Amino acid sequence: MSITNNILEVNNLLFKWRKTNNFKLKINKLAIKKKKRVILLGASGSGKSTLLNLISGILEPNKGIIKINDTCITALSSKQKDLFRTENLGVIFQQFNIIEYLSPITNILLPCYFSLFKNKKISFYRERAADLGKKLGIEKDVLFQKKAKNLSVGQQQRIAIIRALINFPKIILADEPTSALDYKNKEKFLNLLFDMCEQENISIFMVSHDNLITKYFDDVLLLEKINEAS
Amino acid sequence: MIIHLAIKSLLNRKLTIALTIISLMLSISLFLSIDTLRLGAKKSFFGNVKSGDLILGSRSGEIQLLLYSLFQIGSPTNNISWESYKDFAEHSEVSWTIPISLGDSHKQFRVLGTNNQYFRYFNYRNKKQLEFENGEKLNDMFDVVIGSDVAKTLNYRLNDSIVIAHGISSQSLHDEFPFKVKGILKKTGTSTDRLVIVSLEALEIIHKDWKTGSRIPSVKKTNIELEKEDLKPKEITAAIIKIKSPIKIFKIQREINDYEKESLQAVIPGIALSKLWEIVSITENIMLSITTMVIVSSLIGLIAILYSTLSNRRKEMALLRIVGASPKNIFSLLLMEALIISICSIVASILLTQLLSIIVFPILDQKFGIYLEYKFISIKDFYFLMVVLFTSVVVSIFPALQAYKNSINDGI
Repeated sequence: MSITNNILEVNNLLFKWRKTNNFKLKINKLAIKKKKRVILLGASGSGKSTLLNLISGILEPNKGIIKINDTCITALSSKQKDLFRTENLGVIFQQFNIIEYLSPITNILLPCYFSLFKNKKISFYRERAADLGKKLGIEKDVLFQKKAKNLSVGQQQRIAIIRALINFPKIILADEPTSALDYKNKEKFLNLLFDMCEQENISIFMVSHDNLITKYFDDVLLLEKINEAS
Repeated sequence: MIIHLAIKSLLNRKLTIALTIISLMLSISLFLSIDTLRLGAKKSFFGNVKSGDLILGSRSGEIQLLLYSLFQIGSPTNNISWESYKDFAEHSEVSWTIPISLGDSHKQFRVLGTNNQYFRYFNYRNKKQLEFENGEKLNDMFDVVIGSDVAKTLNYRLNDSIVIAHGISSQSLHDEFPFKVKGILKKTGTSTDRLVIVSLEALEIIHKDWKTGSRIPSVKKTNIELEKEDLKPKEITAAIIKIKSPIKIFKIQREINDYEKESLQAVIPGIALSKLWEIVSITENIMLSITTMVIVSSLIGLIAILYSTLSNRRKEMALLRIVGASPKNIFSLLLMEALIISICSIVASILLTQLLSIIVFPILDQKFGIYLEYKFISIKDFYFLMVVLFTSVVVSIFPALQAYKNSINDGI
């Protein structure tokens, strides 16, 4: 297999929910080049999150191939998928980015725990978290406070960015991370995210229904167009 | 990591989890305490019947004879003659005997007439012998040895003078013949603790001026010359008999039961007590099954808590999945939470029962005469706790499996 320039490739993907509803996702081709920022627009319920779950390997497609950084994740065992996910993907959600009963730093280090720190010391990741926090304007004492409960929405979003970046991912998947923010904060959030990703050579694949933010992206895809089942 | 997550997550739900732990703790403690009580009572009862192979008495119910001779519960129906007793005491197969004469009392305590054989041979629990806290055995005619409860309750010390009352709850006192406390026994946890022990001869003397319950006015202490009187007892209530060779026990028992001069009966104390215990054990079993049900309901409470949080925690689980947790990790997270809850409950119940035993055991002893030896967790208790732990983990598999299934289908 030749090494491509794509960080993400989806071929002949078919996904159906096993249960009653007749929702289907059928994507013949979707490719994202390395270091690109791509946004996928779609209405609520059109299958954006399902696609992200398929890409992250949480859901299993009925048919098709998904490649991330030239690894065919659809061919991996579920155990390998779980490990692959922590080592290669960073994920940011619309809401519920943090577990409130854990400290912010533990929240950030969650992927590292599951990838067993890749033979590095925990202090290395703590320093990296502090470092990333500094760049994102999060004070150390905020990062190392006892519980994440008291964080503001803005702080939670930035903690989510740090967590998505902590394990040196190749690509960040973001599920409407801006929809809870007002316009000014959206811009700020996206700028922060893009800055960080550019510094670390990370691609971004974001799904959203918000077409006001498309101008910040290199590429805009419409789910209605690429989903042949719709 | 899973342990850390589980602990943090439980701490986040302090109140509900604390209540679950308390409910489990109480039910486990209940079981442990009831079991301790049950075994303690049994041990305490059976501890009384360790001396001797047979109890000789007049013909009545087996259990009745056992109860009045060894436990001083109830009243003897009839006495046996000294001659009949002597026949068996001097039997070639008999190693020793302890004569027992009952009927009088001192305050709320029974008076036991016997001889120094009692202190030499009376055994309780694991071959323990009677020991003196203070003083010594009966030497003089009007010496008396008292049990530890008697000494404690009536605040008696050595050389205190006491007077015995005629009958079990009688106002007429044998006040011409005061006794002197010569010995105080150590606590045994048996009915001996509540005995006032005198010699058979002394009993004979103090009854000289009595005839079937009433005083004969002409006979007075001043008329009795101790040296000249025939002090050989005429009757005793019962006797504890030790047979030289255990295989002869049934033979001697038959001989006693077939004795022609007088209608006698011999019972084997252990067997008679077992018969009594069979009746008691029904209550025992009912209590045990009730406590088992209490534990089962607490365990159901535990699963209910785990189930009810599942729907609230779907997003948390999904987040864990996306950062790399496998469905197995989610499964073990829930199981770990259940394990921590039950370990906490078990440790708490051990602490509680230990604390209770320190506080309650002396009260039980004082109020009910149930003497429980202080112990840490017995092997049996330990097994029981392991069964509780194991069961709680097994039942938690159901909610954990549900979380596992959810986490396979739940994404962002």
